[in-house]
Amino acid sequence: MTTPDSTNKMLVWDLPTRVFHWFFVLCFIVAWITHENDRFLYEHVYAGYVFFGLLIFRLLWGWVGSHYARFRTFAYDWPSVTSYLKGLLNGQAMRHIGHNPAGGWAIFIILILAVLVSISGLLVFGGEEGHGPLKGIISYDLGSAAKEAHEFFAIAMLLVVFIHVAGVVVESFYHKENLIWAMISGQKPAADDAFQVRLYPLIAVIVLSTIVISATFYFRGYITQTDAKPFIPFSSPALPSNATWVTECGECHLAFHPSLLPARSWLRLMQDQADHFGEDLSYDDETTKEITEFMVKNSAENSPTEPAHKIKASVSVNDAPIRITETGYWKRKHEEVDEKYWMSPGVKSKTNCAACHLDAKTGWFEDSNMRLPKLVKEK
Amino acid sequence: MKKQLAYFLMLFWCISTQAAVVDDMLASYKADGASDFSASRGEVMWNKDYPDPDSAGKVRNCTTCHGKDLRAKGKHAKTGKVIDAIAPSVNSERFTDPKFIEKWFKRNCKWVLDRECTSQEKGDFLVYLRNK
Repeated sequence: MTTPDSTNKMLVWDLPTRVFHWFFVLCFIVAWITHENDRFLYEHVYAGYVFFGLLIFRLLWGWVGSHYARFRTFAYDWPSVTSYLKGLLNGQAMRHIGHNPAGGWAIFIILILAVLVSISGLLVFGGEEGHGPLKGIISYDLGSAAKEAHEFFAIAMLLVVFIHVAGVVVESFYHKENLIWAMISGQKPAADDAFQVRLYPLIAVIVLSTIVISATFYFRGYITQTDAKPFIPFSSPALPSNATWVTECGECHLAFHPSLLPARSWLRLMQDQADHFGEDLSYDDETTKEITEFMVKNSAENSPTEPAHKIKASVSVNDAPIRITETGYWKRKHEEVDEKYWMSPGVKSKTNCAACHLDAKTGWFEDSNMRLPKLVKEK
Repeated sequence: MKKQLAYFLMLFWCISTQAAVVDDMLASYKADGASDFSASRGEVMWNKDYPDPDSAGKVRNCTTCHGKDLRAKGKHAKTGKVIDAIAPSVNSERFTDPKFIEKWFKRNCKWVLDRECTSQEKGDFLVYLRNK
């Protein structure tokens, strides 16, 4: 492999292309890491936005950018790819200053998959989560279906990324030039037929500062938050409320939002109010009627939130659980929560949703509006 | 000065509502057949232990949730939710709403004593707690 400071270097990758490349890599990695835990949806979405923005930039730059960044310079037909790969095997593959035919195909496939990942991600975010530019336009069911596609395209893209990286490594050894360093320095050993490209530093600075400014704006809540007033990443319009529900159901525990159980559960719960988990609520008929009506009207079947949809789907139609903690969705979502958190003084009871869910009162239970409490010993 | 007067009037209004509400309730308990009320009887009952029907060997009493100190906040035995202090001297909202008082008498007597309280017992509780 040629060392980076060897003689006769020339600029091949302009600065915007390199900034694009490495930030695109970074966004992809961040998106992979943050998708594991719903708590980081806010960060995942930011990585996605930057990813999509960079992608749009790259698609434009492929037409108007410097020579080797333009699509037409690495748009090879399939026979070129097969003959290049055969050449690799019999030692006759030609060195390319820009992308070689196989590499060019990998780039196009990655870009296409990136478009699909971005669009499906926006569909999930708009439909299932009710946020982002497609909020209100996309139905929950479409968003939910797009989630499968989003995962599929992301995995497919990861596979092609592996092939791309493997190709870079093989090619680096084969032609004895460090292609990874070339994507950092932008320079490669010169060749006779090579094109001299411009650096375009101003464009790169614009791309970079857009990322920095948008990140500061997007994450400013984390900078200004305090322990008493933690940053709540996602906010949604208030769901219907009812004064009797707030006071009566909120006296002993959090006033659980009606969207957290199906209507049949609330009917059963209110019918059994004389034995409400061992206590006699002793509501008069008027209060019972008002609370029951409110709960049924805004039950899981009738609410737009993600937990409402998922709780409804996780409860068999023959079941009417009277504890939210008995629903399949609740169990699934909390199975990884360590016992020490449930026992910690700030939580103590599984009814204490608000100990971790900053927006428990609103009924939304947004993924990112959740914090595991600090574990402190009880004094 | 005006502000102070306003605060004074508000305080006075709270205390007088409290007094009127408790007096009315005591009168209605008497009409139900209760005899004279006793703060010391109320205090004894307030601190008396009753067996916990759910777990043998354990006991329940009023302080399980309201706490030993009437002027401090309590904690719901099951959910851990904070319960505002019951002493009217630190919580002026206490004993101002007959419906609220009756609702909680019913719930809490059933939970602690495993039965509803009599008018006599409720009156004893009220005269014990009203001056705390």
